[in-house]
Formats: sequence, structure tokens, C-alpha cells
Amino acid sequence: MITSDEIESYIQNIPPAPAVVQEALNHARAGDLTKASKCASEDPALKLYLKTLMNRPIYGFRNEVSDVAQIFGILGLGASQQTLYNYLLSLLTPKKWELFSLNNHQFYDLQASISKHWEAILTHLKINDKEIQSAITLIPASIIVCESLFASRKAEVAQLRSVKALDFNTILFRMSGRDLFDLSGEIARKWEMPDRIVTLIRSASGTVEDLTGQERVLAQWMHLLLFYELSQPAYVSAGLNEFIDFKIEFVQNIYESFAQVVQNT
Amino acid sequence: MRAVVKGRVGIFYLQGFLDGNNAPSFLTLEDIKATEELNIDMLLVSLKKVIFFNKNGLDVFVKLLANVRDQKHIIVGFCDYDHTKYMSINAFYKDNASFSLFKTQEIAELFTSSNKSESRTVLLYNEDPSQRSAMAIELFDYGHNPIMAQSKVEFEEKKKNDSLYYAIIEDTNLGLYGQKVATRVTGNAIIYTISQFLDAEINDTFNLSYHQNSLNVGFRLFIFDAYKVISMNIHALNFFTKLASAAAEYNASICFVGLSFEKTPESFKNDLEDAGLMFFDNMDDILKNKDLLQELGGGGGAAAKQSRSLNKVLVNELPHFIDATVSTIAMMTNAEAVKNSVNIQPLSIPTTNNQYASSIGFYGDIDGLIILIFPKTIAKKACELLIGDANASEEEILDSLAEFVNIIGGRAKVLLSGNKHRLDITLPRTYADVNTLLEIAHNKKGVQVDLSFEGEHFIFFLTR
Repeated sequence: MITSDEIESYIQNIPPAPAVVQEALNHARAGDLTKASKCASEDPALKLYLKTLMNRPIYGFRNEVSDVAQIFGILGLGASQQTLYNYLLSLLTPKKWELFSLNNHQFYDLQASISKHWEAILTHLKINDKEIQSAITLIPASIIVCESLFASRKAEVAQLRSVKALDFNTILFRMSGRDLFDLSGEIARKWEMPDRIVTLIRSASGTVEDLTGQERVLAQWMHLLLFYELSQPAYVSAGLNEFIDFKIEFVQNIYESFAQVVQNT
Repeated sequence: MRAVVKGRVGIFYLQGFLDGNNAPSFLTLEDIKATEELNIDMLLVSLKKVIFFNKNGLDVFVKLLANVRDQKHIIVGFCDYDHTKYMSINAFYKDNASFSLFKTQEIAELFTSSNKSESRTVLLYNEDPSQRSAMAIELFDYGHNPIMAQSKVEFEEKKKNDSLYYAIIEDTNLGLYGQKVATRVTGNAIIYTISQFLDAEINDTFNLSYHQNSLNVGFRLFIFDAYKVISMNIHALNFFTKLASAAAEYNASICFVGLSFEKTPESFKNDLEDAGLMFFDNMDDILKNKDLLQELGGGGGAAAKQSRSLNKVLVNELPHFIDATVSTIAMMTNAEAVKNSVNIQPLSIPTTNNQYASSIGFYGDIDGLIILIFPKTIAKKACELLIGDANASEEEILDSLAEFVNIIGGRAKVLLSGNKHRLDITLPRTYADVNTLLEIAHNKKGVQVDLSFEGEHFIFFLTR
């Protein structure tokens, strides 16, 4: 169904991060928001993305926010870095979604909602780490990878799934030895994200064994957050609820705390 | 979301959170229509991967399940839950549950008919004595061996020896049970259990498509276990007469065991005998009499005496059947199957060692039987995607082979619908020993296509 050659070709065709965005990210990582916003203003597409994103209902601003410096100021250092990663990911979104009944606005809403909830989760866990805060942005990459690899095989997958409850992630893993989160990790690597982020993204699948300490805790919260978001009506209708296997036993012990955190966000 | 169909059980696998807001999003109108059209005996919703649910969320599925149950008289309910979830569902619906609850999918499958003749020993307990008895009777009717604990203490004690049982049934409730005629397989005979007063309702409760499937895949002996029948009326008589006429085309035998004529007119017996049905006092009169069993068609081979020949329509559609097979193999393995030769001949297998076979029948505008014979290594490779375990047991491989053949059947159905042929597929059947299949297929002429896959030879055979 999917060959290793196709996967290699997919990875090779991931575009590198545009120079302007890379520079803005470097400034953000160095803690210089002024330079980062100045850099970001030079890219009209990035500027439009930031403006559109900040005026989505989830941020709840009454008046239109349009200046990049203002946007970065509102977001703060960690969230600005996160938003730049979100923008990079938006460059990979397909023009037309075929596998999932989704549009790009819904996808951006998903990104924004995941980011907001992740911020609350990290506050709850008392973790103040910009890299960890940014890592969550790569989780929806798994959806884009899935769309790209399986869009032309929708009918085949439907036939397979009519006899066996197999999710896309498992199908890909059984056919190639790599799963959607491994490929999302490849995207992160290509965009020169730190190795810690790559590792975290991979562990969010809930299938990585021998996780311990903070790594395990973050993987659990990421996995449950992803399923919380994918259980929202719009994403259930889009077919996203079925794209990976929910490892309920992996997250069972954090459910109560999770419910409290998302309820208060 | 579509239900996954395994054997005659359809299951919705839900994940994540389920509440009144998102539950309707799981089911489009097309999904509901497709579910209502499924040819199954049981429809379940698995709660294994649902971390949170509330009554509003469940209600959406309860409504669908109730509609399907009312239309098709099948068993509907929820499965795969822990004790906490079981208690929550019971609290939500109290005594008004219009559905069944099965702790696991494996337990649910014990309450349905299959092509396998496996009698399972199970330990069972329910606080409600009437539920306990109802479950035990049903399990017995499906050919299993239920051991019923009379108290919680006895149950906990017996539970300690869990290796003695195929399943331990607790937190399970039949609720408002579907009223299908229970079916079990013993060797090559199919046994239907009927009870009480038989009237026009038998048309709804008897699973005619399962019966037709069984005829198509080679079963030739059908026994009605009628010990619990009190009487029947003219509508039931007509039903059995028609069933006998249909069976005659396949040279199949239909028998009644234990039917009393105290309250049923004696003339009915004559009418049924004229239609070709036979009557026996005890089940063992048939099952323990090897010669009689052989004569009735339940002795193993069950080959039809009147073999039906290939027809032009079927041969014309041959490319579609081969296409469905080859493309399914390519889809599941990323490797190509090469067609070596095509001949019209009886099934010829160079060696029966280290081979698995499977078959699936189809009926409708055209009818026939697809048989596949693989070397074990190829069967294992073809099923790797479905199993996901390189060290799978033979039972797992054969189960997956059935799913694999189901996909081929499904693909053939889609391809043929392009030529305006409407057809249904039967339950797949798998054979760990190819000789068993040969007993069914010997002397049958068909189209044999010899294919090779990664240097190994496998056979596609299409017959009627």
C-alpha cells in the first residue's frame, strides 16, 4: 500500500524552513522579541498568517490585532516561538484535504486550540521551558503527513477497515516500520528543531516503551490532549478521531487532572 | 464512522471522549444507512478506548441500536468495558435497557453463530438468577458449555482456576435480547435451536441469509433442535416446506430432532416429510451414527451430488475476480502476484502439505465460490498487515486469512457492481488442512488460475 521509497520521497520533498522564519526563530530562541517581530514583518505571508490567527475566536480579542510587534508582545516569548512553528507547519497543509473532511481554517483552529491547552497544561505541571512549549506545534504534523500519504488510498483503507479496526498510524507502521510520529519527527529535524522536540513528538504516539520521568509525563499529556481535541465534533466529522490508536491505558492515571485543567482553560 | 464486520458481528470502535455534543458527529446519514444494510447477527459499540462518556453521548448510539434491533431482530449492545463503565451504564439506564451488555468482544461472540464448530467452556455469574439462566440457556444453544456459579462466593472461588475456562462471564447482561434462532456448528452439520410456538415470526427470527451462506460454502446437513417446541401453525409449516425446497437444489438434508406432535397436527408431519424433511427423536441418533451422518451430508465432505456447472456470465466476470485477488495481495504486501496459467478443470493441487486454504461464496445476480490455496509462508505474509505480529499462532493466521478473503470478496463486489451485478458475499471459511477443502471441491469443475507470488505458487479457483 505504502512503500519505503514513497516515504523517503515524502521526507525529501519537505521544504526547508524559509530563511526569514528561521532568522525570526533564532531571535525568538535568543530571547529578542523585537528583532524576531521585525524579521517576521518582512514576510507578507507570515504577517497575514499571524494576523489571521490572532483574530480567530479562540484568542477572544475584541479589536483587530494587526501589528506583528503587537502580536508578539501579546503572545510573549514562548508562544511567539510556538506560533512561528505553527506557521511553518501551515506551509505543509494541502490545498485541498481529501482524506479528512477538513479545511485549512479548521486545521489552524486545531493548532491554536492545542497550543492554548498545552500552555495551561505546562502551567499545571509547573514546567517553564520554551522548547517543550513549542514541541506541541509539531503534533498536528502527523495529520498532514497522514493526509499526504493516504489521500490517494482512501478506498483501499476503507476496505481494509471494513474487516479490521486498523488506524492509519498502525497501517503505516506495519507496512514501513515507521509511524506518523516518526515522520513528524523527520519534519522537525529538517526544520532544525532541537533533538528534544523530535524525541517528544515521537513519544506522543503512546507507543514508545520505557519512557520515564518528565518525558513520560509529557508524552501522556500530549497524547490525551490530542485525543481531547480530536473528539471535538468538527474533527470527529472530519474523520480525525480514527487516524491514530488511542492508548487509553497509557493516559488513564492522568485523566482526572487533565479534565480539571481543560475545564478551567 | 462505519462498523467493522467480523464474522457476523458488526462493531463500532469509538475513541476518546463521547458526549451529547460530539456523538452525532460519529454517524452520518450514510453511516446509519450502511449500518442498517449490514448482514449481521449482532451490532455492538466498543467502549474499550472511550475514556469519558455520558448518557447524552450513549443515547445517540442507543437510538441507532434500537432501530437496528427493531428492524432486523438482531442482538445489539455495548462491549469492551471495565466494571466502572458497566456500573455507569446500568445507572444511566437502570432496568430499561433495550440493549445487551457484553464485558468483552470474545464474550459477545459466544452468543452468535459462526462457521466454527468450537464448544467453549465458560464460567458465568450474574447476580440476577433469571439473567444467569437466560445466559446459560443461550450459551448452551450456541453449542457451548456454560458453568454457572450460583453465588458470588462460588464464582470467586471458581474464578481462581481461570485457565479452565475460555472466558469468565461477569458484568454481562443480555437485556432486551434479539430473538434470532440460535445457531451452532457441529462438525459439518449446522444446528438451529427453535422453541415455544412457531408461527409467522419464524420468517423474522430465522437467519435465512446465514442459512443460504452455509449452503453456498458447502454445508449439507441442517438440524433443527426442536425439543423445546410446543407447537407450530400453518405459517411455520409453509416456512419449513419452502426451506426444504431450497435445500433440495443443493442436495442438502434438513432434519427435526425431538419435535413432539402432541399439540401440533400429525398431518403437518406428513406434509413436512413429503417436502423432504426428516424426523429423529434424539440428536445422538444422527450425530453418533456415522453412516447416517455420511448419508445425510454431514460426514465431512458434504459434496453436492448435483454439481452445478460454470456459466458464461461467471466466466465473463472472471477478470474481475482475479483482479480483486491480485490487487488485494498487492495492497496488503506491496508485492506483485503474477498470473501463470488459466485452465477450466477440476481443482488440482500439486501438494497439500504446508498449505492453507480459504473460500468465500457469493450470491445474487450471479453465484459461485472463490477458493484460494496458499503456501503457509505466503498466507502469513499476506496477513502480516492485519495481524501485526510475526509470531502469530495458526489460529490467528487463519482468522486473518478469513478477513483477507473478506476483503477480496468486498473488492469483487465493488468491481462487479460496475457491471450492474448486485451480489452478496458469504462468511469466509478457512482450512488448516487442505484435504478438508478437497472433499468439498472434488469433481467440481471451475476456472483454476495458477499464480506466483515472490517465487511461490498459489491457486485461485472459481467454481459454482
